[in-house]
Amino acid sequence: MSELKVGVISCSGEECLGGTISRLATRKVLEELKLVETVTLCLPLYLAGGKEERNFAKVFPTISVDGCDKFCAKRSTEKYSGKISGFIDVSKIIGNENALNTKIVRNKDLKDEHLQMADKVASEIVKMISSISPDSYSGKSFRGCSCGSNFDPGLKTM
Amino acid sequence: MDKKVKVVPCSGIGKVYGLMAREAVLKTVFELCPEKSETVCLAYIVTGDKEVKEKIEGCDCITVDGCPKMCASKNVSIAGGIVVEEMKVLDTVKEHKGQKFGSPTQLNTDGDSVISEIAEKIAKKINEIN
Repeated sequence: MSELKVGVISCSGEECLGGTISRLATRKVLEELKLVETVTLCLPLYLAGGKEERNFAKVFPTISVDGCDKFCAKRSTEKYSGKISGFIDVSKIIGNENALNTKIVRNKDLKDEHLQMADKVASEIVKMISSISPDSYSGKSFRGCSCGSNFDPGLKTM
Repeated sequence: MDKKVKVVPCSGIGKVYGLMAREAVLKTVFELCPEKSETVCLAYIVTGDKEVKEKIEGCDCITVDGCPKMCASKNVSIAGGIVVEEMKVLDTVKEHKGQKFGSPTQLNTDGDSVISEIAEKIAKKINEIN
């Protein structure tokens, strides 16, 4: 049976709120979306040369989630794995001023309004996943993840 | 050249240790050593864009990694940063056997406590450098 998976790769930028929201929204999709197996690709590992992560993004549809319009996650994914299936610009959803907020970045400083922003971004990720052709969910040559010893189809993170 | 020490976490998204690295670094640069340190987005560092290249190249950097893959350290080195200290979250976590620290989304009280310890270690190193 074919595996049905979608990859989501978040910038998780450390300098501004947009990065924090991108991370939280990606985690939310990962934890709550049950229709399709969603896998988050660990961007630092991907960037450091993780072969399995790069292979995953070549084989399965992958969506990037960037906190600002520098699009670091999108650019890196396309550089190493080819065209992505879609991208989310968090700054377009929560506004540039919020995305580039450098004062509120830590989880502990987030207020309800910020959590609502993460919910909104998560909804956009889900919409994007829903717009991907179901035919492309099926990978054919994925062999596993390098952050654990073996890939477990039940695992949802890489 | 900007003299602030660059402190860069991996922010790995799959395990709680990535969040611990991220939160420890943010606590350090925002609360403990805001005058002497700053963070730079790891994903941005790797793009090689001129602006970030100028910011990181030849600068003293402390990296904080959540797993033995040492992705932050590797990526900062590749980008031309001088990694003066490679910190590993697991080194501190080992001192708290049996404890749970929360999830990759949210730390619990024990997680908060351990990231404070890590942040103190980072701050100590920053103060030795600057």
